[in-house]
Amino acid sequence: MLKNGLLTMVASLVLAAHFAFAQEDVLVVTLSSDPTSLYMPRAADRTAGNASWSLYDTLVWLNEEGELVPQLATDWQISDDGLTYTFTLRQGVTFHNGEPFTADDVIATWEYGGDDSNDYPGYYTVATSVEAIDDFTVRITTAEPNAIFLTTMAKNWAIIPGDYMREVGIDAFATAPVGTGPFQFVSRTPGERIVMEANPNYWDSELPYLDGVEYRVISDPSTRVAAIQTGAVHIANRLTPELAESLEGEDGVDVLTYLNDRVYYVAFKNIGAGVGTPLEDARVRQALNYGVDRFGIIEAIFSGYANPAPGFVVEGNLGYDEAAMAPFAYDPERARALLAEAGYPDGFDIQMGCPADGYVNINEVCQAVAQSLGAIGVNVDVDFQTTNTYWSEPQYAVTGPMFVDSWSSEVGEALPRLQGALIPGNYYTTWEDSELEALINQIDVTVDRDERAALYQEMHERMRNEPPFIYLYQPVIFEAVASNVQGYRPLAAEEYFLRSVRLAD
Amino acid sequence: MLSYVASKLLESLALIVGVLVLVFFLVRLTGDPVALMVPKDAPQEQRETFARMMGLDQPLPVQFAQYLADVARGDLGDSLRQRRPTLDIIRERLWPTVQLALGALAFAMTIAIPLGLAAGLNPDGWIDRIARTVGLAGQTIPNYWLGMLLIVFFAVELRWLPAFGRDTAASLVLPAVSLGFAGLGQLVRLTRSTVLDVRRSDYLRTARSKGVHATGLAWRHVLPNVAVPLISVLGIQFTYLLGGSVYIESVFAWPGLGTLLEGAIRDTDFPLVQAITVFIAFIAISVHLLTDLLYGWVDPRLRVA
Repeated sequence: MLKNGLLTMVASLVLAAHFAFAQEDVLVVTLSSDPTSLYMPRAADRTAGNASWSLYDTLVWLNEEGELVPQLATDWQISDDGLTYTFTLRQGVTFHNGEPFTADDVIATWEYGGDDSNDYPGYYTVATSVEAIDDFTVRITTAEPNAIFLTTMAKNWAIIPGDYMREVGIDAFATAPVGTGPFQFVSRTPGERIVMEANPNYWDSELPYLDGVEYRVISDPSTRVAAIQTGAVHIANRLTPELAESLEGEDGVDVLTYLNDRVYYVAFKNIGAGVGTPLEDARVRQALNYGVDRFGIIEAIFSGYANPAPGFVVEGNLGYDEAAMAPFAYDPERARALLAEAGYPDGFDIQMGCPADGYVNINEVCQAVAQSLGAIGVNVDVDFQTTNTYWSEPQYAVTGPMFVDSWSSEVGEALPRLQGALIPGNYYTTWEDSELEALINQIDVTVDRDERAALYQEMHERMRNEPPFIYLYQPVIFEAVASNVQGYRPLAAEEYFLRSVRLAD
Repeated sequence: MLSYVASKLLESLALIVGVLVLVFFLVRLTGDPVALMVPKDAPQEQRETFARMMGLDQPLPVQFAQYLADVARGDLGDSLRQRRPTLDIIRERLWPTVQLALGALAFAMTIAIPLGLAAGLNPDGWIDRIARTVGLAGQTIPNYWLGMLLIVFFAVELRWLPAFGRDTAASLVLPAVSLGFAGLGQLVRLTRSTVLDVRRSDYLRTARSKGVHATGLAWRHVLPNVAVPLISVLGIQFTYLLGGSVYIESVFAWPGLGTLLEGAIRDTDFPLVQAITVFIAFIAISVHLLTDLLYGWVDPRLRVA
């Protein structure tokens, strides 16, 4: 009996080794957590979206350059009032289960996506109607002009087969997801792996180059590094700078670094605790921007692996202009002069909230900010709070007149963080500036990209002269990639985009 | 005997209720699921809808009463994130954890018992010195740190064993060794001290004075008496290993209850965190109850206590 067991064990080892060699073009990538769902409207965490996107297509896709390009829609028109979008759909596309793709599936994607039980129903209900003009023409209407509607679609509307969804329902769909994407679902072992194989009938007959993709769940970053060192995976994501440095010079492994589209900042308040403080004077807020040594913070706390943030519009965002958008210099002299001009030659005392352990190294960052400002006479009392209390109440009610936070964007422009942190009434809005508000609302309804880019530049000017924040830094992301992986380009929002990846011999 | 059983059952029930109270309220100190699950730029209505759907808008005592009623009916709730019964999710992840605990226990026993016996039979000899070092190391080296060390050495440098996952039988080796090492230390010390106790006992002195040969002494008199306390400790060890594998599972990306719990905590998936904790507590309490009852059955003196 025992002997039999041992034999089976040896046989399975040999078999496993054999398969490892036979399936040469299966790309193995790590996920830092087990995806909650493979149905996009329920894939709230980035890991889930990351794995899911290999299964699906959208009508329009936001490519690596931040441009909207055709995917399941070959063409689209926007009405002059910016309310109606008419899409011409690609013909001859079939889902993994053989169902042909038609206008009906776009309707089902919208209907089911807006279900209250999903994480982000708002990304779907933003469209007030989706109608089929004929089998391959769809008309989508929004209640108000929405600048980033197409981007929202590109980032969320994973097209699902309507008949299949109606037959099985969301819960069952999530366990056996079907799309039109370059890879199709094979199996999932909870907490362990998700296996996908190439879709042989993909509408872009060139793609995918791989025979399959396997996602492995590895939550510990040092284990992800060990996994790529032993050759068990091809891409290991979300590494710390220290781990990335430990891979320098490792044979067969390249370290990729790229900027995350996330801005860390210190927010000022002119409501709640901010009323009646020196912060109401724009010269003071400029002084604090000159007085924080963001370059020193980046060197000391992130070993240089972060970019100083020029504002809320950062590298890679629509409207970013490197020449015109330099970050505030570190200039304590000027800071002191500005403070004196505003009537605070000896500085002042102020409290600043900090989300303890809420982000990588954030405690050290808060302390460094306080130390920098101390040098220009502004004595900052750092109020560390657990993230529980910090993020569960409207931010103006939580802490002192300043607080530290960060905001990412997945849509290639700054709009979500501008709206979230500057439109009065929102949870994280603590600075009310009617001019900024008007500009943001104008951006929100400006469908033309060039016009929007110009508005972002105007916005940036205002946010520099009348700063609602101390702009801190934009973090760098590290990934380790096996040298035989070709055509891999990560997106700034930490997404894998695997359809055009190849494995060299 | 009946009243003994009843009192033990009541004790266990009280323990379970205690665990439920602790888990329910402690979990709620760790974070607000609404703030973490709803997108940052979501309007207030969406936050409220979500809270209502998940029953999080009710006052805490009401939520707790509802929770107790559900647990009494064997319903541990639905996961906030996965939107399906937590027990189904636990069932998927149970076997890998049991497998790892069994592997760890097997590893600890195979080394600890012979080593402890040899040490106890030859106190202060060189084997004893090794046993005492192993005992100390097992109790002091953090198991996740040992795990990382083993990965670097056996997986990355030597390439003998996989660094992570649960692909083949070989995948079990490193996590089982890392997890079992602490238990090994404890078992070595226990076996050794039990042997020393037995050797000092009256019946052994009698046997020795009768002229029983040293080997016969060890096999016929020492071993059977060492076995009894050892068996009860093994039961406790096993429940400890089931619950204590969170770090090790995370280090080795082992798809069991430990990594499930880690993810549930990170996602502030209250019902899932509660369900896993209660589930493990339930197993531990059951094993203790069984041990107590077995003792009462074996040793009549305990029944009155």
